[in-house]
Amino acid sequence: MAERSTDFDAIVVGAGPAGSCAAIELARAGKSVLLIERGPFPGSKNMYGGVVYPRILDELIPQWWEEAPIQRWVTRRSTMIMTPTQALTIDFRSQNWAAPPYNGATAYRPDFDHWLANKATDAGAQLLCSTVVTGVLRDSAGNVTGVRTDRPDGDLTAKVVIACDGVNSFIAKEVGLYGKADASNYTLGVKETLALPKETIDERFGVRGREGVDIEVVGCTEGVNGGGFVYTNLDTVSLGVVLKLPKLAAQKKRPEEIIASFKKHPAIAPLIEGAELKEYSAHVIPEAGYKMFPKLVGPGLLVAGDAAALCLAAGIWLEGVNFAMASGMYAGRAAAQALTRGNTGPDGLKPYLTMLDTSFVLKDHQKLQEIPHLVLSDRVQNQYPGFIANIVERMFRVDNPTPKPGLRRILLEERKRAGIRWRDLLRDGRTGMKGFG
Amino acid sequence: MTAFRTDWGTISFDDRMATSEFRIHERAHIVVDGDACRGCSTQECVVACPARLFVPTSDGGVLFNYEQCFECGTCYLVCNTKGAISWNYPEGGHGIVFHQT
Amino acid sequence: MTVVACLKWLTPHDADDRFGGISPADSSALEWALRLGEQRGEDVLAITVGPAAADTALRDALACGAQRAIRVDAVDELLSTDVAAAIASAIDGVDVSYVCCGDYSLDRGTGSVPAFLAAQIEARQALGLIEVVLGSDVIALRRLDGGRRERLRVDAPAVLSVEGATATLRRAPLSGALAARNATIEVVAGPVGSHLPTARRPYRPRARVLPPPKGGTLERVQSLLSGGAATKSHGVPVELSPDEAAERILAALDEWGYA
Repeated sequence: MAERSTDFDAIVVGAGPAGSCAAIELARAGKSVLLIERGPFPGSKNMYGGVVYPRILDELIPQWWEEAPIQRWVTRRSTMIMTPTQALTIDFRSQNWAAPPYNGATAYRPDFDHWLANKATDAGAQLLCSTVVTGVLRDSAGNVTGVRTDRPDGDLTAKVVIACDGVNSFIAKEVGLYGKADASNYTLGVKETLALPKETIDERFGVRGREGVDIEVVGCTEGVNGGGFVYTNLDTVSLGVVLKLPKLAAQKKRPEEIIASFKKHPAIAPLIEGAELKEYSAHVIPEAGYKMFPKLVGPGLLVAGDAAALCLAAGIWLEGVNFAMASGMYAGRAAAQALTRGNTGPDGLKPYLTMLDTSFVLKDHQKLQEIPHLVLSDRVQNQYPGFIANIVERMFRVDNPTPKPGLRRILLEERKRAGIRWRDLLRDGRTGMKGFG
Repeated sequence: MTAFRTDWGTISFDDRMATSEFRIHERAHIVVDGDACRGCSTQECVVACPARLFVPTSDGGVLFNYEQCFECGTCYLVCNTKGAISWNYPEGGHGIVFHQT
Repeated sequence: MTVVACLKWLTPHDADDRFGGISPADSSALEWALRLGEQRGEDVLAITVGPAAADTALRDALACGAQRAIRVDAVDELLSTDVAAAIASAIDGVDVSYVCCGDYSLDRGTGSVPAFLAAQIEARQALGLIEVVLGSDVIALRRLDGGRRERLRVDAPAVLSVEGATATLRRAPLSGALAARNATIEVVAGPVGSHLPTARRPYRPRARVLPPPKGGTLERVQSLLSGGAATKSHGVPVELSPDEAAERILAALDEWGYA
């Protein structure tokens, strides 16, 4: 391919975690890179549940924990199985997560993404905000040669374009990397940021200082497949639900109604009593994981982050920002290498796939590929929570003068009552073991 | 028409939406094909849009607002009627601005 | 000659600079300055009195086509007279044709900077405009009390203050937006300190401590039954010089709890 003169070596679309990490890699490799953000500042369009796992930043920003705008370090993780009147919690706490290099952290995305984008500009990337990329430029052979923006005289050329333009990724769709959009691959996350004094949060959630809590809930979404979450920030609590799109529409339940009923649950209400709503927000999540991945490499184009559907929604593991940062970093690295070699065609960009394949990015997704579907299945959502909660309730219920039933009997009876077939139970167990095992 | 429950809290939906910052642009970034919606019996967008931008009308159509849009994409993803909702991002610098999300 | 656009940057009290901005009226003023500049073949100078964060507004103006940007560095809140004086001093030596201002800032101050500025630079003024027509003359429509309108021909040099709906700011072209990020912004030192009252309060009388009621029970009951007429203060006609009258008014406001 003949070397053509372009405005930039690389253009990265979207200054979220994927885009900023891509830009850091490219800028540090000495490439000219423009990072385009449609919001007034990086992070202004971004919302998530509330926990980020930033260990992948060790490679890019050593000692990131000393400067990243973190709200609290997660030292307590709870998984809650809920029915309207019951709640079973598995609660884990580790002080090992209260010191560097930490584990999970709560952070606000407008803060975190803004900080990360500043790291990219520090490295030499150029940042242009308030600019929407409306499409890509392509030559007669179909190779991506730049982007078109929504500004007058808004075309820019580059040797490689990295699409980190989020879950709706109009770029990846335009270039034909996605198959037909299927609403069942997506969930809607709605969240309330609820203000409470720091001391109240510390007291109610049993933490001190910068320690924080991460609570994931299944069975709290009124029959709409999904889940709920409660995360502690410094002086707010992030509380929300994630809802499978087609189910939400079919069940005729409004998102804010489902949040409201979640907030009223006896296991949740005392945590947030008296809290004032500071901000209501919503975002779509690419939830289906491995099964919905688009092609990640196009002619002159790489796709990373939510745009590549790199979100891990595997029940006990709910991650996305780390996958975005890692995929962005590898995309930037692969693009920089391709630029150095002077080959930004599909085969020149292919090492991106190898990097993803050999890292956690695709390994985790491959291993857990059946899990998102399992977690959002009707049985896990609507039958198992009641089944499990009833078993526990009967175990702990003192029903004198009736003697205690054996666990075996409870299990058999409750299985029957819940209408769960052995076949399904075994199959789901196997799927779970295959993924989690 | 779907009757929504209203006992979900003391805060009105308008107050809820008022907690988010929107820098509204004069051009609508959502366009809805009214004829297509009149033939739609399910009207998923009305239920699913977290900002309640879609309102059913008495003649079976759908009225829509674009101003307080989270730009999430739910509406066009759930829409069963091909091409009824054309959706893009608002002009750069406009639309939703998150603070503590 | 040069057209000047005055912009007021504000950061919300509960958030940081990322969420700051200028008012729609200021955006309109910038658009009118750009149009005037194009029509008259003059340069456009964007100016602000504010902290470093206000550079964002100036860069946006440069991106849209302004040729020059000055920031008068001022961290504190200033009186409108001080802001006007700072702008006048910063553009001293610039051959000004028109100065365009928004008629309100995001914090809805007094809107008096344009008037003070006109006085400072000895220019004409046309304030609170709801329509501007650029032809061979600049014709401006002004809102008056009681729904009346005043149509003015505004010759240079003049200060215009416009409402937000008079014009929509153009979209900055990509080349302008890219160039503006690294463009030079002239920074001049601004007035130090603030003469503003330290506390801001709503415009209504403060609660005040009343002396304990005088007189016996019967008198107090009578006073209440009289519908307050017995205690109501009546206007006192006085004849005073303007200065004394102003003093008297201030004293009365103070007495009533407005101070």
